[in-house]
Amino acid sequence: MSSNIERCYQCGQCTAACPMAEQEQAYKIRRFLQMEKLGLKSEEPMDIPFIFYCTTCYKCQDNCPQGVKIVDGLLSIREAAVRDGNILPAHRKIGQMLMDSGHAVPGNEDGKKRRLQLGLDEMPPTVASSEKQLNDIKILLNLSGFDQIVAEEKA
Amino acid sequence: MRELSLFLGCVAPNRYPGIEVAAKKVFSTLGVDLADLDGASCCPAPGVFRSLDKLTWLTLASRNITLSEKKSDDILTICNGCFSTLKDANDMLKEDPALKKDVNSKLAEIGHEFRGTQDVRHVVEYLYQEIGVDKVREAVTKPLHLRVAVHYGCHLIHPLKDSKLGLAGKPTFFDELVEATGATSVDYEDKMSCCGAGGGARTAILDATLKIANKKLEHMTEAGADCIVDACPFCHLQFDAGQAEINQKFAKNYNLPVLHYTQLLGLAMGFSPEELGIAMNTVDTSRFIEKVKMDTSGNEVCTIV
Ligand code: SF4
Ligand code: SF4
Repeated sequence: MSSNIERCYQCGQCTAACPMAEQEQAYKIRRFLQMEKLGLKSEEPMDIPFIFYCTTCYKCQDNCPQGVKIVDGLLSIREAAVRDGNILPAHRKIGQMLMDSGHAVPGNEDGKKRRLQLGLDEMPPTVASSEKQLNDIKILLNLSGFDQIVAEEKA
Repeated sequence: MRELSLFLGCVAPNRYPGIEVAAKKVFSTLGVDLADLDGASCCPAPGVFRSLDKLTWLTLASRNITLSEKKSDDILTICNGCFSTLKDANDMLKEDPALKKDVNSKLAEIGHEFRGTQDVRHVVEYLYQEIGVDKVREAVTKPLHLRVAVHYGCHLIHPLKDSKLGLAGKPTFFDELVEATGATSVDYEDKMSCCGAGGGARTAILDATLKIANKKLEHMTEAGADCIVDACPFCHLQFDAGQAEINQKFAKNYNLPVLHYTQLLGLAMGFSPEELGIAMNTVDTSRFIEKVKMDTSGNEVCTIV
């Protein structure tokens, strides 16, 4: 589970291969890893929101001569930032969707119409069709404190 | 008849239900029954939820897996993201007894238990390894004469890295399955690159992700593709709904229909574009559908003569 970012020797091959770095100057995976290694908190304003831009494409990892598990490393960096309250509003919203419906992308009117046109039930045979199952999801989310993570910030 | 539990995820059933229909039709033609996994939730998504809270991600993923343990079927995913989450979670829990215990203490609250008896499969990888390219080809009744830009997607390749699929070099398994339908898989620059959408990036920074998708669309168009074929509803959404956004935001005029592999194979098995939901895309597919219809009806005439 733990990542192995101590193996990183800062060659920069990860950033060179990264499609997000190509689009967003501030997105520098090598830098995030170094800051983490040095124990510098990534909550410095300049790294939030950037650490959340990773598409988890694994290009960096495939390119790393040191076999660093870069994506696992980045996901833990993000997790720590979220624990410090630095969740992006957009991600909080998806989290709330998961809490409310059990789906990150719940059904909408267009989707329901399409399902009916194709001869499917209006709601898919998922948690969307069962109050009991949705309740189970909510129990699990509350148990792991996810409700707190995605709760609106108190003013 | 073999049976698998079909894990739907979120985007396919709620935005592109044609993929759900296509998967069932195609597998039933190949002699595999796809049973609904009643009560399944979001996998949950491997980038965004895993990075918000890993234990929540693992707990919900393991609940989804236990739904299939109850029926003792392996799980079939039709989405790279779901595959990545469920396969990674399944492997982690099978390998780490302490973690399994931790997760099971949570699952006990809802009367579930992760036993670790099931495998998690992805539709493309399953067709390749369990059904085989030859059997797929034999099931084709209306060969397609299309130029296809295959998009593997990152989370299909990554969890399969340790498999026997020859991923050290350039993978060809998806291309082989596409060509079994009669289509040609065209080569294009950056073929193995990302669609841009994953990891929560699409919601966090839409324009940058669209620029990543735009590069791929440019290369696919240059290669003269008639359509894109993917194996992931989220890549599908990025290339279809995202294509319309790109046309609007960046003044482009792409017109590349996007099909999930099950929809392509469905066409080649003789199912109509309408019943496979291909006309429900955001990007206009009418010219493509016309081409396929002329093409496949032409085949019929040939066989009669
Ligand atoms: S490619 Fe690997 S070793 Fe080089 S900077 Fe990136 S993580 Fe470090
Ligand atoms: S996984 Fe993230 S950091 Fe690595 S190349 Fe892809 S977008 Fe960049």
